Amino acid sequence: MNVIETSGLGKRYGRTWALKDAALAIPAGYVVALVGPNGAGKTTLLHMSVGLTSPTTGQVTVLGGAPAGSPAALDHIAFVAQDAPLYQNLSVADMLHLTRNLNRRWDQQRAEARLNELRIPLNRKVGKLSGGQQAQLALTLAVARRPALLVLDEPLASLDPLARHDFMASLMAAVAEDGLSVVLSSHVIADLERVADYLIVLSHGRVQVAGEVEGLLAGHRMLTGPAAAADELAERFAVVHARRAGTQAHVLVRSHQAVEPVPSGWEASPVGLEELVLAYLREPGAGALPGPMAGVTQHAGIPA
Amino acid sequence: MTAVTAPAPPARAQRPIPWTKLAWVTWRQHRVALAGVAVLLGGLAVYLLVMGLKIHSAYQAVLSCHPLTSAECLVVTRPFSNYHQTALDTGVLLLAIPALVGVFVGAPLLARELEAGTFRFAWTQGCGRLRWAAAKLSLLAITVTVAAGAFSLLFRWFYQPFLDARLDGVLAPQLFNLVGVDFAAWTLVAFSIGAIAGVLIRRTVPAMAASLAVWAGLALGTALFLRRHYQAPLVLKGSDPPGFYNNPPWVFGQWNTGPNGSVVSQQTIRNVLAHAPQSVQYSKNPNVATVYLSAHHYTQWWTYDPESRFWHFQLIEGGWLLALSLILLAATVWLVRRRAA
Repeated sequence: MNVIETSGLGKRYGRTWALKDAALAIPAGYVVALVGPNGAGKTTLLHMSVGLTSPTTGQVTVLGGAPAGSPAALDHIAFVAQDAPLYQNLSVADMLHLTRNLNRRWDQQRAEARLNELRIPLNRKVGKLSGGQQAQLALTLAVARRPALLVLDEPLASLDPLARHDFMASLMAAVAEDGLSVVLSSHVIADLERVADYLIVLSHGRVQVAGEVEGLLAGHRMLTGPAAAADELAERFAVVHARRAGTQAHVLVRSHQAVEPVPSGWEASPVGLEELVLAYLREPGAGALPGPMAGVTQHAGIPA
Repeated sequence: MTAVTAPAPPARAQRPIPWTKLAWVTWRQHRVALAGVAVLLGGLAVYLLVMGLKIHSAYQAVLSCHPLTSAECLVVTRPFSNYHQTALDTGVLLLAIPALVGVFVGAPLLARELEAGTFRFAWTQGCGRLRWAAAKLSLLAITVTVAAGAFSLLFRWFYQPFLDARLDGVLAPQLFNLVGVDFAAWTLVAFSIGAIAGVLIRRTVPAMAASLAVWAGLALGTALFLRRHYQAPLVLKGSDPPGFYNNPPWVFGQWNTGPNGSVVSQQTIRNVLAHAPQSVQYSKNPNVATVYLSAHHYTQWWTYDPESRFWHFQLIEGGWLLALSLILLAATVWLVRRRAA
């Protein structure tokens, strides 16, 4: 089952396409990192997935075929919007009561136990909580709905490093407990490196990379060798991005068998997730997508 | 990779969230605004009650005084006459209540959610934004309309002695809005204008200002231009409308024609009267002047609506205000439904 599936999905605001021709099939059971620079279309994609925005073109279905935003979809998807907007003038207890009354599925015990663990007092006004506590409260409200899919838009953007760490720990605990699927966006890849097992890179409104992290890391290598020989390399490998430093060149290539022989004069090293993402973002023409087009052609672009 | 728990099949039909739960949400989020309305209406109701009792007892004193033209009765009548001016001023003040409901209950309802971004929370809950908006709008609309209706009943009781004494007619613009079904209808339309302004403008304070301006324009336009067209007015020639003093009608047109049948100005009439004998000029009975003028081939004309048309006019105005409110509320729900984040 795919938790989010899109085809030809596009959204235009005025004359600008925030997202164009997005074809995605995100399988269930992953923690999906949706990364890309600001303005790449991450929020637009997430808003369309949870039914807040309707697409200009194409369609998006969730949880195995339900139209995004339909009652069935809303019941099983919890969304935490950017900056975790909550009612500032309500107490934490009232916020729980309100969320309980707005949903068919609700686990009050779970919510209270989590808040107790986090030392967030029930009688405090939401507006008096710290940014980190508000984010934690938003996450608690979302998890207590016992969703099949949890969608978070830039949950870490406004948090300090300690709060970030705590938030991610809470999130991963919930994932371990419920086995729910998670899609979270961020423009800071480092935050997601340890938790994400599925990666989507968006750039300029287009899906550039989509796939399991493990597979993506295994399918890419960094080759270091003489700059003069870099062009030769491009004939044998799909080069994502080449960086020259003096006489040396660092070339990120896609090679699907890690056992593929390293050409003489070159040294191969594995790549990290951040390195991989940055390389793709620097080369908007390059792409790595599942399905027939993956790895077939060099500099595989997005199907027009 | 984590183990997958399959979500419940999305195809299964879901029971809707019960209204009582949404009523709690509405109450919890808007109780401050509702408390403001309650304090305002409650305070004014106490005032109307206290003043009303005084007015009623003053009127009883007037009724039980015989003969009415005696010097003793003149003293008894004075407090009642004084209360009349106070009551009229109070009525003008009360005309602002629907506007306040529109500004402080209607306009912030959706504008605050859109402004603070909390609609992204509210509209992604299991309830769905359609039911959420329909519940909030209908519950608050019914509450403010019923409260305004009850309040206008109290005002009618408070003002009744002056109507009984034939000091005013209920068709008079300063009273018509406050009695019958009109007050509740104007409150409902103010709320609806506020709600749709909120979803269109998306910012609280500008939505408040806009809803005030639109409501005031509509109310003023109705009183000044529209209401007289609900039914063709009666036209009267020569003397004052029948029962002017016993059953005050709503007079909104008065002009004079000269000997050749064309309309003449007030100045011309004043000039004619200036040549009238002293007995005519200083007569307390306005009919004397009318008779003098008609003897000189000047005719007075009146357009007016008799008081018997009160409920007819109330139901016409209440009807179109209710229809307008329902259209605005439906449009608001529709805008919430299609509004993109």
